[in-house]
Amino acid sequence: MHTMALAAAGPAGFLNFLQAIKIGITAGAIYALVALGYTLVYGIIELINFAHGDVFMWGTQVTFVLITALGITSTIGGWQLVGVLALLVVAASVFCGVLNVTIERLAYRPLRRAPRLAPLIAAIAVSFILENIAELWRGPGQIAFPNLFPSTALININQTFVVEYRDVFIVVLALVIMFALSRFILGTKLGRAMRATAQDPEAAQLMGVNINTTIALTFLLGGALAGAGAVVFTVSTAGYVWFFTGFQFGLYAFTAAVLGGIGNVNGAVLGGFMIGIVEGLSIAYLPQGSILSTAVVFGVLVLVLVFRPTGFLGAQVPDKA
Amino acid sequence: MSVRSGTRPEPAWRARLRALLRDTTLAGRPLEWYLSGWRLALILLVVMVIFPWLVGSTFVADAIAVGIYITLAVGLNIVVGYAGLLDLGYVAFFAIGSYAEATGTFGALQLNSVTGEVIHTPVLPFWPLLVIGALVAGIFGIVLGAPTLRLRGDYLAIVTLGFGEIVPILFNYFPFWFGNTGMSALPPADINLGGLTITFSDPLNRIPFYYVVLAVVALVILGSFSLRDSSLGRAWVAIREDETAAASSGVNLVRTKLLAFGLGATMGGLGGVLNGAYIGAISPNDFPFFVSITVLMMIVLGGIGSIWGVTLGAIILRFIDVDLLGRISQFVQANPVVNNPVSPLHFLSTVDFNQAKYLIYGIMLLLMILFRPQGIIPDVRRRRELKGIGAAVESTSAIGVLEREEAGAELAAVDTLDQTTYAGPGSDDIGRSGD
Repeated sequence: MHTMALAAAGPAGFLNFLQAIKIGITAGAIYALVALGYTLVYGIIELINFAHGDVFMWGTQVTFVLITALGITSTIGGWQLVGVLALLVVAASVFCGVLNVTIERLAYRPLRRAPRLAPLIAAIAVSFILENIAELWRGPGQIAFPNLFPSTALININQTFVVEYRDVFIVVLALVIMFALSRFILGTKLGRAMRATAQDPEAAQLMGVNINTTIALTFLLGGALAGAGAVVFTVSTAGYVWFFTGFQFGLYAFTAAVLGGIGNVNGAVLGGFMIGIVEGLSIAYLPQGSILSTAVVFGVLVLVLVFRPTGFLGAQVPDKA
Repeated sequence: MSVRSGTRPEPAWRARLRALLRDTTLAGRPLEWYLSGWRLALILLVVMVIFPWLVGSTFVADAIAVGIYITLAVGLNIVVGYAGLLDLGYVAFFAIGSYAEATGTFGALQLNSVTGEVIHTPVLPFWPLLVIGALVAGIFGIVLGAPTLRLRGDYLAIVTLGFGEIVPILFNYFPFWFGNTGMSALPPADINLGGLTITFSDPLNRIPFYYVVLAVVALVILGSFSLRDSSLGRAWVAIREDETAAASSGVNLVRTKLLAFGLGATMGGLGGVLNGAYIGAISPNDFPFFVSITVLMMIVLGGIGSIWGVTLGAIILRFIDVDLLGRISQFVQANPVVNNPVSPLHFLSTVDFNQAKYLIYGIMLLLMILFRPQGIIPDVRRRRELKGIGAAVESTSAIGVLEREEAGAELAAVDTLDQTTYAGPGSDDIGRSGD
């Protein structure tokens, strides 16, 4: 369908297409970071951590508070920008990681042996609590936010296909974090403990793995990734902070995790980029795309779950009830 | 948490209440006889019929709002409570019912191209729409349920959530329903009985519409009880407990699950039709995810699977929403301590407690699922399921034997099980009396 539209539209149409793909890739990089949090937690305790999107939202709030505290109100550049970004990523990651561990300890751990739906309902409750504390604190509206990146374009073709510094930053940071995560999971003792627990908690326990610590570590990692994603999202694409960001963003990221195969780390990354691109193309090409793109993404979620619940890279049995 | 040995003693107030109900007699029968089964339902119905004459008009309006949500909660309870399918997109059926009512009573709007005048032609009156809206929602329940049948547990929850998000987006998207601005929904037309005219459209007198809602709620509760005790109800429980075992015992999984989805959706649609007629105007923004979760909370609060429980849950949460929080705000703001500008509590004078609604809901939901997962009025069977050990001790049925084996397997995990609300055999009769 798109190729036909492109053929008709000529070079300008192709540039539009490239731009939609670029928007999709940058959005997808952030979805991937958040999707990793869903997939890590699901992989290890088979819980859809419904509150994960709201942990991400709290990361955006922390970013906002820090930026305000630092007195930054407009674009900055050079090493100053690098320093600020590093500080933000570390602070938001620590905050979200600790928040996620706290949630696990208070709300999920007591329900670990309860019927399957109990922790899911607890997660929904936590999501509500996180969202509404933010709403009471920040008010129901979106709070505008300065864009930190200089808007100098690296590539600019006819004002149609534009690549800016921030696009590069998003993708590079996301890829670095994902590489580090994959080294951690595959190459360290703690990572091996995580994989063992995901495979069979009881056997892992018998082998001397401390299950509680491992699960807490997983929540810490997932939260930290969401925090990093939140910084990237806030400083480069969103332009606002909002208590309700986490709901839709979380669902998109969850869709990404399912699309790639939930429980599979590479799958989450692949799914993140795919969802980003699907969204970018829907906004660009569908009539009233900004309304319909949500329906398209959820439609993808429904179709994947119905026809290929294991996702693209997942090999798990999907319907453990 | 540690294991508590033996049965926890019954609280004194409960023992006293039970003794009172047993020993007080009315017309030769103990009070507890009147407060069980259909007799309780009859008493409640009589109370609700005379309710408008007992209270002011504010409470009649509150009761309508509550009644609409009771319909939803009882409907979702069929899906979640009986069949054990977690539906997070129940708002879809509420929206479909509401839009069916609006589309029928207000009609499709057309622009007169000559005069530029907007005209609307009502297609159908309210009464047939009450049935049609419910049926349409029920059909959509089956249509949306069909592709999800292969999924279980949390995957099903997410797919239904997706449907719940998609449906309002589609109502927003198609110009036929006027997108974000929404459309008007009309109340039932006046009924003329000889010299007496019954008016439903008077916002100052909601009593006639109250009786419509009461009739629907009574019907839905009655229907829910008979469904529960039917062979279909038993099939639902069977697939909830163990799908594989149910299938091998001859339960048709596809049919049984679809009926749960369809009947639940029908009740959601009924609630939607009532909602449209009551509110008078609807838009896609009236059907956010929060609605699905609010209804789910009513069920968890009241008691998953328990009809009286979810009814009570709907009453509590809806009353908090439409009435209590406003009253608390007013009360706090009128309080002299808060009013005093030098008081440390003065900041409360600007707090609107209505904004804290979902925070309060969230905290309630979390505390319930952690400390009393069986709800305020527990469903007997559900309680056994949620409290594995207590279940096995109590049951003598065939299922009980199975549960006992499961419980044995779980003994190793006793330290993590919440035992605080475990009550021994027969100590929960008060909660059970209405079931």
